[in-house]
Amino acid sequence: MAIVKVEKVGKRYPLGEQVVDALRDVSLTIDPGAFLAIAGPSGSGKSTLLNIIGCIDSPSTGHVFIEGQDVSGKTPDQLADVRARTLGFIFQNFNLLPVLSARENVEYPLLQLPELSRAERRERVAHYLDMVGLARFAEHRPNQLSGGQRQRVAIARALATHSRLVLADEPTANLDRETGRSILELMQSINSKAGTTFVFSTHDSHVMAMADRLVHMEDGCILRQEERSAQSAEEAAP
Amino acid sequence: MRELLQLAARNVLRQRGRSLMTLFAIAFGVVALILAGGFIKDTVDELGESMIHSQSGHLQVNRAGYREQGAREPAAYLLAEPEALRAQLQAIPAVEEVLLRNVFTGLLNNGRTDWAIIGEGVEPAAEARLGTYINISAGRQLTDSDPFGMMLGAGVAQALNLQPGDWVDLLTNTTEGAVNVLEFEVVGIFQTFSKDYDARAVRIPLPAAQELLGDPGVHLAVLRLARTEATAAVQQAAQATLAERDVEVLDWRRLNPFYEQTVALYQQQFGFLVLVILLMVTLSVGNSINMNVYERAAEFGTMQACGAPQRQIFRLVLLESAFLGAAGAVLGVVLGNGLALAISAVGIPMPPPPNSDIAYIALVRLAWWISGLAFAVGVLAPVIAALRPARRAARADIAESLRQAV
Repeated sequence: MAIVKVEKVGKRYPLGEQVVDALRDVSLTIDPGAFLAIAGPSGSGKSTLLNIIGCIDSPSTGHVFIEGQDVSGKTPDQLADVRARTLGFIFQNFNLLPVLSARENVEYPLLQLPELSRAERRERVAHYLDMVGLARFAEHRPNQLSGGQRQRVAIARALATHSRLVLADEPTANLDRETGRSILELMQSINSKAGTTFVFSTHDSHVMAMADRLVHMEDGCILRQEERSAQSAEEAAP
Repeated sequence: MRELLQLAARNVLRQRGRSLMTLFAIAFGVVALILAGGFIKDTVDELGESMIHSQSGHLQVNRAGYREQGAREPAAYLLAEPEALRAQLQAIPAVEEVLLRNVFTGLLNNGRTDWAIIGEGVEPAAEARLGTYINISAGRQLTDSDPFGMMLGAGVAQALNLQPGDWVDLLTNTTEGAVNVLEFEVVGIFQTFSKDYDARAVRIPLPAAQELLGDPGVHLAVLRLARTEATAAVQQAAQATLAERDVEVLDWRRLNPFYEQTVALYQQQFGFLVLVILLMVTLSVGNSINMNVYERAAEFGTMQACGAPQRQIFRLVLLESAFLGAAGAVLGVVLGNGLALAISAVGIPMPPPPNSDIAYIALVRLAWWISGLAFAVGVLAPVIAALRPARRAARADIAESLRQAV
C-alpha cells in the first residue's frame, strides 16, 4: 500500500485581490521507503504540496490518503493525531523551540503520545540524539548550536515518534554546501537502514541528485518524474 | 502537564524586558486595589467603632418589644432585677463591663424656651470608659460625683444657648403619668459622629433619672466588650444565658442601621472599583500579550506540526499569562501591604465625615480578604487579556504560521 496517495488535488487561495492556483489537479503516489525530492522554482507549488501531504494545510479539491486513510475531512484534532503518530517535519529554519534544550526539543513530540512512559521517552531521546551524533550536546539550547547541529536535532525530533514519513521543506537551504550534504547523507542513511520514507523539496541540483525519485513541479503542476535506482542516486552524489 | 508548565515558565522568562513591563502593570493594579480596599476598610471600621464607643456599645439587652412599643409605654418595658442581669452578663467571657441605662423623653427649659429631648439615665464613670469616641466640645464628662449634673448634645446646647455651668429644668412624665421637674447643672457638651443624635441627646446620672421618672427600673443593659470581633459569640452566649428571661439581645449593627447602609454603599463602590481596575489591567497588558503571541506564530506552528492539538497552544498561552499574573500579583501584594503600612504610619488627615463635625486621621488597613481579592484580580486580568490571542494562536493556519521565521 502506498504511504501517500495524492488524488487530483487543487489548492487555491486569495492573494490580495487575485486568486492564486498554487496546485492544479496534482496526483502523486509515494511508496514506503522512498527518498523523494520535489524540485522546482519558488512559487511552483512544492511547499504547498508538502504542507498538504503533511496535514498542515488542506486541499481545496481532491483527496489525500496517508497510509490508506483519507485525511481530507478530518478535524484539526484528528489531524494533529495523524501528525503526532505518523509524520515528522524538518524545516528550512530548523524551527526548534528556543527555550528547550536539544534533548527537550527531541522529547517534545513524544509528549503528545500519552502511552509512552517517562523512561521510554528518555530512552528514545538518547537513542536518536546519539544517531544524529549530538549526544554530547543534549543540554545545549538551540542558540548554542550551529546550523548543522540544529538541523540534526530537528531530524532526531522528526524521527523520535517513529514517524513513517518525514517531510522536509528545503532542509539544506540555510546550510553551507558541506553541512547540507552531511545532513542529506544522514537522512539517506536513515532511509536505507530504517526504511523511513523521506519527501523533501529543494531547488538545489546537488540535493536532487541524491534522491531516488525526483518530481519536477512548475506552476502548480507536476511537470515530469524521474525514477532512479538507489545505485545511480549514490553515484550521482557529489 | 509538568512539561507544559515548564515550557510556559521558560517562555515567560525568555522575554525578560517585556515580561517585566507586564509584571509592573499588574502589580500597579494590585497595589491600587489594596490601598483603596484598605482605606475603605478603615473608614467602615472607624465608623463602626465610633458608633459603638459613642452611643450603642457592642450589645444591648432590653425587654422583648421595647424597640417597637417602648416609646409609648416605657414603664411596661423595664428590665426585671437589673443587678442580677448585670451579674449574669458580666460572667460571659470577653464582656468587660455592663452598663445600665434608662431612656425617657422630656422637655428641657432654659428659662425662656423649651426643647424636646431624648434623655438617658447613665452610670457616669462606666459611660466615660465606653465613650472613648465622644468628643467633649465644652466642659467635662459627667462623673459619679455629679448627682444632678447633665451632659448635652452639641445641638441641644446650641438650640437653648447653654454653656457649662448653666442651670436648666428638665420636665418629664413619671411612669404613673404625673408631671415632674428637676433642675440640673450643665457640666459638659459632647459631639458624636451623628449630628441627629447630638441635636436631641441629654445624659443625666441614672439615680437622678430614676427619681425623675419615679421608678427605680432600667430599660437597657449595655455591654462593652474587649474586642469588637467577639460580638457575635457574646451575643450567642448572652442569648443562651438569658433564655429564661423575656429579653432580646441586639448587636451594634442592628442598633445602628446607618452603619449597615454605609457598608453596603462602600461595598458597592469597592466592587465597581475592582471591576474598573480589572478592566484597566486587562487593557494595559493585552497589547504586550498580543504582540508576544503574534511574534511567536512560527513557534506555535512548529508545535502543532509536531502533533500538538490546538487546545495545547491555547493552554500554553493562558498558562504563560497566569504565571505573569501570579508573579505580578505577588509583587503587588508585597508592595501594596508595605505601602499601606507606611501610609498608616503617617496617617491621612481627613475632613469631618457627613453628619459630623469632627475631623479624623485615616489609615490604610490590611486584611486577608483585600489582599486575596487584589491577588485574584492580578492573576485574572492577564488571563482574560490572553483569551483572544490564545484562541487566535491555537486556530491559526499552521502553514501560514510556519512561513514566519522562528
